[in-house]
Amino acid sequence: METIWQDVRFGLRMLIKHRLATIVCVVALGLGIGANTAIFSLAEAFLVHPVPFENPDRIVALVDARVNSQGGAGFGPQDLNAVAPATYLDWKKEVRSFDDLGAYAWDEVSLTGDREAQKVQDFQISANFFSMIGVQPLMGRTFLPEEEEPGRNQEIILSYGLWEQRYASDPNVLKRVIKVDGKSFNIVGVMNKGFDFPMAAEAWIPLTLSTKERLRRDNRWLWVLGRLKPGVSFSEGAAEMRATSEREAQAYPDTNKAWRVHPLPLREFITGPLTRQYTLLLMGAVAFVLLIACADVANVQFARITGRTSEFAVRTALGGSRWRVARQLLIESILLSLAGAGVGLFLAQMDIQMILAHMPPDVARFVAGWKTIRLDGNAFLFALGIAVLSGLISGIAPSLLGSRANIAETLKEGGRGSSISRTRHRLRGALVVCEVALALVLLIGAGLLVKGFQGLLSVTENYAPQTLLTFHYSLPEVQYNQPAVRLNFTEQIVQRLGTISGVQAASLVTNVPYANGGGIDEDEFSIEGIPLTERGEVRSAIVETTAPNYFNTMNIALRDGRLLSDTDGAESARVAVISESLARRYFHGEKALGRHVKVGKAEAEGEWMTVVGVVNDVHYSWIVKEAVPTIYRSFRQAPPNHTTVVLRTEGDPQKFVSAARAEIAAVDPNLPLYEIKPMDKVITESIVGIAYVATMMAVMGAIALILASVGVFGVMSYSVSERAHEIGIRMSMGAQTRDVLTLVLRSGLLLTALGLTIGLPIAFLMARALSSLLFGVEAADPASFIGLPLLLLAVAGLACYLPARRAANLDPLQALRHD
Amino acid sequence: MEPLIQLRNMEKVVEAGPNKFFLLRRINLDIQPGEFVTIMGPSGAGKSTLLSIIGMLDGAWSGEFYFLGEAVHKLNVKKRNELHKANIGFVFQSYHLIDNLTVFENLEVPLSYKNVPHKERVSLVCDTLDRFHIVGKKDLFPNQLSGGQQQLVGVARAVILSPKLILADEPTGNLHSAQGEEIMELFKKLNDGGTTIIQVTHSERNAAYGNRIIQLKDGWVVSDGLAAGTRAGATQSA
Repeated sequence: METIWQDVRFGLRMLIKHRLATIVCVVALGLGIGANTAIFSLAEAFLVHPVPFENPDRIVALVDARVNSQGGAGFGPQDLNAVAPATYLDWKKEVRSFDDLGAYAWDEVSLTGDREAQKVQDFQISANFFSMIGVQPLMGRTFLPEEEEPGRNQEIILSYGLWEQRYASDPNVLKRVIKVDGKSFNIVGVMNKGFDFPMAAEAWIPLTLSTKERLRRDNRWLWVLGRLKPGVSFSEGAAEMRATSEREAQAYPDTNKAWRVHPLPLREFITGPLTRQYTLLLMGAVAFVLLIACADVANVQFARITGRTSEFAVRTALGGSRWRVARQLLIESILLSLAGAGVGLFLAQMDIQMILAHMPPDVARFVAGWKTIRLDGNAFLFALGIAVLSGLISGIAPSLLGSRANIAETLKEGGRGSSISRTRHRLRGALVVCEVALALVLLIGAGLLVKGFQGLLSVTENYAPQTLLTFHYSLPEVQYNQPAVRLNFTEQIVQRLGTISGVQAASLVTNVPYANGGGIDEDEFSIEGIPLTERGEVRSAIVETTAPNYFNTMNIALRDGRLLSDTDGAESARVAVISESLARRYFHGEKALGRHVKVGKAEAEGEWMTVVGVVNDVHYSWIVKEAVPTIYRSFRQAPPNHTTVVLRTEGDPQKFVSAARAEIAAVDPNLPLYEIKPMDKVITESIVGIAYVATMMAVMGAIALILASVGVFGVMSYSVSERAHEIGIRMSMGAQTRDVLTLVLRSGLLLTALGLTIGLPIAFLMARALSSLLFGVEAADPASFIGLPLLLLAVAGLACYLPARRAANLDPLQALRHD
Repeated sequence: MEPLIQLRNMEKVVEAGPNKFFLLRRINLDIQPGEFVTIMGPSGAGKSTLLSIIGMLDGAWSGEFYFLGEAVHKLNVKKRNELHKANIGFVFQSYHLIDNLTVFENLEVPLSYKNVPHKERVSLVCDTLDRFHIVGKKDLFPNQLSGGQQQLVGVARAVILSPKLILADEPTGNLHSAQGEEIMELFKKLNDGGTTIIQVTHSERNAAYGNRIIQLKDGWVVSDGLAAGTRAGATQSA
């Protein structure tokens, strides 16, 4: 142990002595370790702590997925759907692998009465929900089974945040009765600080199912969780659920044939497949950066051991074993990495602060685990671990080679260890080749992601989102239960908003593109005269209830027929406009105009709508690459409860917020408006995930480029020092500046070209994988595959040119004296 | 008395493509404990090669080599290193002190490789500093010392573990004559104290400090006899 301290002391002295090399290594490793630690902290938050309670391992999410062509569940990682109430109730009765099943449903309510109206993200939950996931309230109680009865659901549980913010942490809050969507509710509990499950919950109310709803198997709106019985594994529970789902598909083919249960561990379900994929992508990218940094450090170490050959020979001559000499070098390498870890932790802290600061709060609250992102003890241990690992990776080859010195030859006066030198030279060359290859793969990955991101932005350009203001409202059911009342309200506000000075158009639609992060539900619909070809087949589309001027407001071009008009009123024949993709997919080239469509099943209630127009498709989400079929109907024929108002403004839309509020308050002073955002913010927030990933990848690509060029520079610089004698001879024999420049540049660019040759096919394979994952990423994007290798070549060329110029300026006489 | 070193038909060959070059040819030598042997010969004669083999730094040779009766040619690298660590000290022409260690730390190096406990190490280094009158230099780095002082530290480092054999390769080659004499007197004193010394030198004057001179040429031992004013321990010719 004591001798290790001796090695540490000496190592520190050596690092201080070679300050420049030490700084280069520490910065390179700091960048690598810092990036890895920051991404580790994200991964820990997203993948390990996505839910705000302990021991979620036994909880399984039971979601529905469409049957794919192979007969399995799910078209892709995004195909996760809620479950119909009757299916949930069947499962509750039948399954044996679970102690308990519980359900929740998304909801939004308005709190009114006691203070100003406030929109709250709540969840309807089954009475057993909290006990099933094993959490207790801070104050009060959870729901009782009898509170699941329709008409008895008059209780609400508040989140700590809502209790703090709206009720000023009132200790007597449990005695209060508050207005929820106009109805009186008793506050029965307050949850613990930080508990907001399901995601972003601010309040919880009981889940009640009417007799009619309890029988429905086609309306999937419940998210079901189950707690596995002790001793039952996830796979056993999942197998039972799949068998149950198969039986249901046979028993209820009309509603269940096309669906199968898709059990997922809760963590995986909550994190979501995309976050998981992006996190793993980033982890891979930062690992590349660290490997490139390690290669740089190894190269510096190689250069340093060359100057210390005689020291190692003396140590061996004085009785030092090869292991002791190698250990000395490894310890120096690990010391460098530990210093790098110090810098890395600092950089990681800065990274995390930047990541946290730039995420819009409205988006952050819906990212599972976001609140737990921090540089914690685990991150510290991780940084320490990868520092030691980096030290070993970057130090192992130099230390083994350094300890292999030819002692007798080295200790001779003027002795040269030529074979070792050649091995070292080859190894350093190989390291540079690897660095260039890794950097290229990373650069191309980053390039494709950045291009993909730009592609997303350009897709939305045609409707000028920067001059669109959007906001939502939900009309309380008690007050607005009659369609005529809703229509009256809607007519009034559309008319009033349109008169605001500077508002060019006031329109409305159920969901604007990219709303809810692009996660817009589709509804089942039917086409008259084109029956389903097989039982269980589902036709689905986004159903938008709009004002007629919506198409012009959003620059959605008409392809055929006509747009909705103001004459399509409540008393007129029901009409609809469909998107081009719907026409193409379901009318198979036949004329869609004049055909009839209906939201829901053909035999269900509701009127058929005549298709009067076909319009261009609109992208709703960057996740889904294909255009989603869409049906547009007039708000006059289906007055909405929930809607999004869209205002086309002159200039900055934010300036019109207060005027819009005033106009709506003039019609209903108690109606809260929420999600008030310019359209470009809606889009930015919906793609904020990929924007983060693209930005981080771009930063890592830039770091990789710099580190790789530092590697090339280091190797070529050292090569020039090593070959000074040879260069002197060549110059004395008549070599000109250009000859020396060519000599050095050729060898450096050869290494770079080799790295590019190895890196390109790897990058191409990676690009194919990325293109299947992300919208807008093309595996064969020529700009990335030609431009980025050329950029790397140019930077490497510059890195070679500097040492080459130094070589060309050598004084031949001095060079000949060089040993 | 058992010889300290016995070499039998020792040969050292290097291959360059299809050709073989003999660096040492059929060396047969006995060196007794307490001898002060000088190896001489022109450049390329194989002097340093022979010294490296005797010092067990070079293991690529053929023949037989006994050190204190132990068959070195049969030992694996680890055992050979142990034997070397326990019995041999080196002094080099270029001193080969470690630049980034102080005088004190340079003297500590062989002790730490022999896993001598810290306390004992400090005591041994202090004794040695005292014995070589370099206590005042203990915190200096090699580049703060003159050539003679560096070689003095080199010798001190070689003897700190009281080796049975000191191997010196041109120990005064980089020193001026007064410093050279001082070092040679030191060797003489160590030899008088019972330490066997083998030196390689071109200097007749330095050779005169020893009691036996072995002449090498083209890898062959061409003469082995008494140094001026001494009696021969052995005589052998090729």
